Amino acid sequence: MSTKLKVAILGTGNIGTDLLVKVLRSEWLECRLFAGRNLSSPGMMKADQLGVPVSSKGLQSIVERRAELDLVFDATSAQDHLQHAGVLRELGLLTVDLTPARVGKLCVPAVNLEECLELPNVNMVSCGGQASIPIAYAIAQANPSVEYVETVSSIASRSAGPATRINLDEYIATTEEGLAIFSHCAWTKAILNLNPAQPCVHMQTSVLAKIKEPDLARTREMVGAMVKQIQAYVSGYQLILPPMIEGNRLAVMVRVEGLGDYLPKYAGNLDIINCAALAVAEAHARRRADGALALKNRASL
Amino acid sequence: MKSQRILVTDPTLRDGSHACSHQISVEQIRRYATAAEAAGVDYLEVGHGNGLGASSLQVGLSLVPEGEMLRTARACLKNTGLSVHVMPGFATVKREIAQALEIGVDLFRVGAHCTEADLTQRHISAVRNAGKEAWGILMMTHMASKEVLLEESKKMQSYGAQGIVLMDSAGAAVPDDVRQKIGLLAEKLEVPVGFHAHNNLGLSIANSLVALEAGARIVDATARGFGAGAGNAPLELLIAVMRRQGYPCRADLYKVLDAAELAAQLFAENLPGSNSVTIVSGLAGVFSGFAKPVQRAAKQLGVDPRDVFFELGKRKVVGGQEDLILEVASELAQRKQSAPPPAPLA
Amino acid sequence: MSRLEQVRRDAEAVLARRTEPLQSLANGHLFISGGTGFLGIWLLELIAILNARHEFNLQVTVLSRSAPDFARRHKHLGGRKEFRFVEGDIRYLTELPRETNYVIHGASLTDRRLFASHPTAVGEVNALGSIRLLRAANLLEDVRKLVLVSSGLVYGPQALNLERINESYVSGFPCDTPNSVYAESKRFVEAMAASFVSETKLPLVTVRPFAFVGPYQSLELPWAVTDFIRDSLAGRPIKIMGDGATVRSLMYASDFAYWTLAALARGQARSTYNLGSPHPVDLLSLARMITQHFVPPQEILTKVGQSGHETTRLVPCVDKAHRELGVEVTVPLSEAIQKTIAWHRTAENS
Repeated sequence: MSTKLKVAILGTGNIGTDLLVKVLRSEWLECRLFAGRNLSSPGMMKADQLGVPVSSKGLQSIVERRAELDLVFDATSAQDHLQHAGVLRELGLLTVDLTPARVGKLCVPAVNLEECLELPNVNMVSCGGQASIPIAYAIAQANPSVEYVETVSSIASRSAGPATRINLDEYIATTEEGLAIFSHCAWTKAILNLNPAQPCVHMQTSVLAKIKEPDLARTREMVGAMVKQIQAYVSGYQLILPPMIEGNRLAVMVRVEGLGDYLPKYAGNLDIINCAALAVAEAHARRRADGALALKNRASL
Repeated sequence: MKSQRILVTDPTLRDGSHACSHQISVEQIRRYATAAEAAGVDYLEVGHGNGLGASSLQVGLSLVPEGEMLRTARACLKNTGLSVHVMPGFATVKREIAQALEIGVDLFRVGAHCTEADLTQRHISAVRNAGKEAWGILMMTHMASKEVLLEESKKMQSYGAQGIVLMDSAGAAVPDDVRQKIGLLAEKLEVPVGFHAHNNLGLSIANSLVALEAGARIVDATARGFGAGAGNAPLELLIAVMRRQGYPCRADLYKVLDAAELAAQLFAENLPGSNSVTIVSGLAGVFSGFAKPVQRAAKQLGVDPRDVFFELGKRKVVGGQEDLILEVASELAQRKQSAPPPAPLA
Repeated sequence: MSRLEQVRRDAEAVLARRTEPLQSLANGHLFISGGTGFLGIWLLELIAILNARHEFNLQVTVLSRSAPDFARRHKHLGGRKEFRFVEGDIRYLTELPRETNYVIHGASLTDRRLFASHPTAVGEVNALGSIRLLRAANLLEDVRKLVLVSSGLVYGPQALNLERINESYVSGFPCDTPNSVYAESKRFVEAMAASFVSETKLPLVTVRPFAFVGPYQSLELPWAVTDFIRDSLAGRPIKIMGDGATVRSLMYASDFAYWTLAALARGQARSTYNLGSPHPVDLLSLARMITQHFVPPQEILTKVGQSGHETTRLVPCVDKAHRELGVEVTVPLSEAIQKTIAWHRTAENS
């Protein structure tokens, strides 16, 4: 029997399709179902070409195939996930939510992966959140009095489709909440800029903080360590401006180059949330494999 | 055509914020707002240079909290409307727009980069649903053709924008650009069209006049040009020229001149002027509001701010991307370090 | 001279001293949908010369339902290592090759005989296929230009008293008849393309081709020029339905392909260009141009159709293409006819 974790992806748009390619490449995961609403969408057709079972029955197909599944990625929309969450919980299926619904605990793998493995539903915050929150966390770890944290993300206009554009306010609210929770700083702000330059720019995120008596050396250390941790699951994550103090603020800048699995490489903002979601699922898979191994070892004693 | 009254919007207390690193005080607001009311401008725009919710480490912290700025101005205005600038990505409906509505802002000018009008849909709708006036603003308009500007304007119009203003944020336009762009919009849009000039190439009044000639019914101008970079079209000059050319408006010339004199005192330390940086940013097509942060970063890293501007122009940076200034300045500094020393002349 | 040789010379001739305007395409990757049709094959002939003689190194991927078959039949193109032939149906396209910088979207159903018996396929392939392609183009890393091959038929009927129609001409035709489905589908595709541009700012150029003649064009197609040539070669008289006053214009295939490449390299994004010859020719004169190559010349019969047959006119104004793309007609019609007939007369495998 395979030790791979059996997963379903709900939501067959660009994000779901890119996630599918990542899952197929993973040693730890097996995609048993790619479910959405439209069999003729490019994502569905690609999945079918790759030999992955597809269904246009959405959540219903997951209900029907519950026995074959361990974990579901929800890459639909916040509105849809609010409907899905209850059903998935009742089915006892592990859920990784890539929408801004925030039903479950906010998860940033580099920061709180272990805790999140105990929970049935985790939320991946937002693209900007995945890029900035770990840095904000590291800054908070290095400095006792962080008064204010701000993150500014700049993404290629072409990487922001109609759904992103109409939900800008939700993105801001979710990211600010994530920043506040992880940096233990009540006062946070998130800003998003779209850059229309051609060729498309890669995602760039700055984290700025107002700190009383900042410890620059320690901040550099902690941020450096955090960047390495993130790079373990987001290989295109790069520190381009190490922590520096300019006037009254601390500034750090990172750039995220996507893997280019299905989404273009400049859409690092979308890639990072998929990489983070994948990291959660793989951690579940590893934990289960370790657990199975431990059982096996005990049995053979 | 000249019988139609021209609406004058005065963003002295908003665009001017850029000129003084967003340190406009309550006292300055109170005194200038009083003068603006007396002068009879149609709208006075107040707030951080980048609009509602923009007070931040990224683009600069305001001296005075937003609510207080708006309340102060609100109390001084009766016939002049209170206006705010709103940029989705900085401001949200639930927080900043809600507060502004509560304070009694009359006009919400919702802006986006000139190719990204669809970002403004929810914000314009929210304002209209609340029964207030909303205009759409397209920024950095030198970066798009007139056809693209028309297409983007139509989107904003369909969201409920009751006016469309083209901003020459970088002060990069020359009169013919303005004539073509404003002309097309004035011809094809249902709602009134406006122009917001900057003076980097010394053309703010000329450009504003051409805009009016091409059919604009809204113009932006600030007292003594107090605003980002080389400043805006100076209000007192614009009103004088409009009077000369027979464009009717509500503003009273003498009271406008008085307001300008007051502004000269109030904002004496930061009155705009032309310098090599503002000229270069106008040529490079880079947002005027970058002037101070560029100069700061250039000084800190020991590079020529003019080089920074040209490099930023090459990267087509847009408003709000101030963080790139540091990156570009750092890169230039590194390049300078690793460049071979100049060969000695034989 | 063999058929291959003739076409090669024509391709070289149209490119002679005209490669500079196409320079931006060098070292790029071009995706052509429907690249195995009449335009497609001539594009490949020109690109083969650009690569072989002018070091363009332009990589090409061709998508078509008959791609592998095409590669086999035309070994001089199928064998080129920088050309890749992919079999596929544009309706089911999910992704473009990641390295694609340029796209020419020419896949559509154009066979008038098919329109009659299967008009729904026309709508589906043209419209659905185009939407698929545009969506896929939006996921590309570095797309620099797309050319949408539309049709001069989108204008609707040309007013008889107008010498030529330019890109802003508007006429109309009823939308609720299957006869209009080809033109309607092309109009719809232009509207969808404009919508994609509005949402995504894809750098798209539209060309509206008119009428063409040249080697590789199937004489089975029911156009006037192909009918006339086919009948002449078969020793049959030329039959003109009306009185021969209907006016068209014809452009030679090598110019067609060159102009398309020029639109790709130099066309302004969001612009539309008429593509065709501005020199009008009435059908009677065209028939005479053809029969003079036959000894004895074919008989030309007019008024073969019903008495109610209408005279029509369709001639493009191409000033915009001339001005912005720097293109012109290099092969006069008489030469175009002569070359085409000579090619058809040459045995296939010589």
